Amino acid sequence: MKANETTVDHFDTDSLKELRPENQLPKTVLILAVVCVAAWFSNTVNGAPLLEALPGMLILYVMVVIGLVVGRLCPFYLPSVAWVSLISIIATLPSFPGSEWIVAQLAEVNFLAVVTPVLAYAGLALTGREFTMFRQTGWKLVLVALLVFTGTFVGSAIVAHLLL
Amino acid sequence: MNLQLLLNWRLHLAVILTSMLSEYIGIIRIPMGPGTLLLLPLLYAFVIGVLFNPHLFKVMGKVIPQPVSQAAGPLILIAILPFIAKFGSTIGPAIEQIVAAGPALILQELGNLGTMIIALPFAVLVLKMGREAIGATYSIAREPNIAIISDRYGLRSPEGIGIMGVYVVGTMFGTLYFALMAGYIASLDILDVRALAMACGVGSGSMVAACSAALAEAVPSARDELLAFAGASNLLTYATGLYISLFVALPVTEWMYKRLARRSSPEVRHEG
Repeated sequence: MKANETTVDHFDTDSLKELRPENQLPKTVLILAVVCVAAWFSNTVNGAPLLEALPGMLILYVMVVIGLVVGRLCPFYLPSVAWVSLISIIATLPSFPGSEWIVAQLAEVNFLAVVTPVLAYAGLALTGREFTMFRQTGWKLVLVALLVFTGTFVGSAIVAHLLL
Repeated sequence: MNLQLLLNWRLHLAVILTSMLSEYIGIIRIPMGPGTLLLLPLLYAFVIGVLFNPHLFKVMGKVIPQPVSQAAGPLILIAILPFIAKFGSTIGPAIEQIVAAGPALILQELGNLGTMIIALPFAVLVLKMGREAIGATYSIAREPNIAIISDRYGLRSPEGIGIMGVYVVGTMFGTLYFALMAGYIASLDILDVRALAMACGVGSGSMVAACSAALAEAVPSARDELLAFAGASNLLTYATGLYISLFVALPVTEWMYKRLARRSSPEVRHEG
């Protein structure tokens, strides 16, 4: 267990908190623009050409910024992911003014193309810590983790299947 | 967050080229037994990213300097947000169907308990793990779950190490694993795809993304509905998941662990 301990050591709740994007708003907004550009280019292959996808990408950018600001100002904590998705739901509700236009613009942005760069960042951002963990005792936890994911997924799917 | 490192042009250019190449390769379907394995562009992007990672191959430091890769962690959290916005936009237009499925969506959270039914006995009886098993298997190890463990046991405790291990695995492989698993289970055609879409919602942002994208590829005709269900389920997970894992999952895991550990060898018990 020793080896494992050193790898997890400096991972505490404080550093998780510091990583939350809404706590560093100005930097986040700037970086967000850069990652949106990456998604915008990724979208050209199976989505739409740059100009056609521009309004859709801008809408996504604005939705995220609004979500982050709301998350920052809100007195209780909800992950920024939850706020962003809430903003986006509200803006696309049929009763929201202009929602038809918003949905039409977003249709130019391919669903999968936006995730592809995220995984590219993830692969590039892995650090020595993670690689070391897997070389050492990590294999047991890897096995358990995969079982955890399978169990949760199948468990939830069965409950939902029975209730639908 | 070091802005200069995070805005490094080589890093972003590498990501753009990697993504475009991955998108160009496109989706590959591999028949496997009774189902089909779906390989999505996000998988290739991850693999190419790892190959360019300067921590794994020193030579790559010439393309992307080590400190840049070290600092790039927060980029993942930010890069997923535009996707989440795209995701939410599938829920709004489908709001009526989602309200109709309401009770299933809420109760489906209880399915999270499936985690410990499979994973906990395996961890304790087969792998002979100690109390790490509690942290590792009581939940899917997202940030709210880490907060609970850290609050109750501390993160340097065995329980804390268990959950951090699963958290790291989830960050590294969770997205890929969810995509492969969801696509495969959908192709078996045993469970309602809408139920599978709701089950996708249990994961973290990128897991949900990959999972529902894989489902949508497996059953393209139901694409919009599936995305909407997964998104709604994920939103509810944020609202209810914390309470279920605190008041139901953790006590049940503790109780089951005590029973299982008694059956396991005494050597394991003193480790805990």
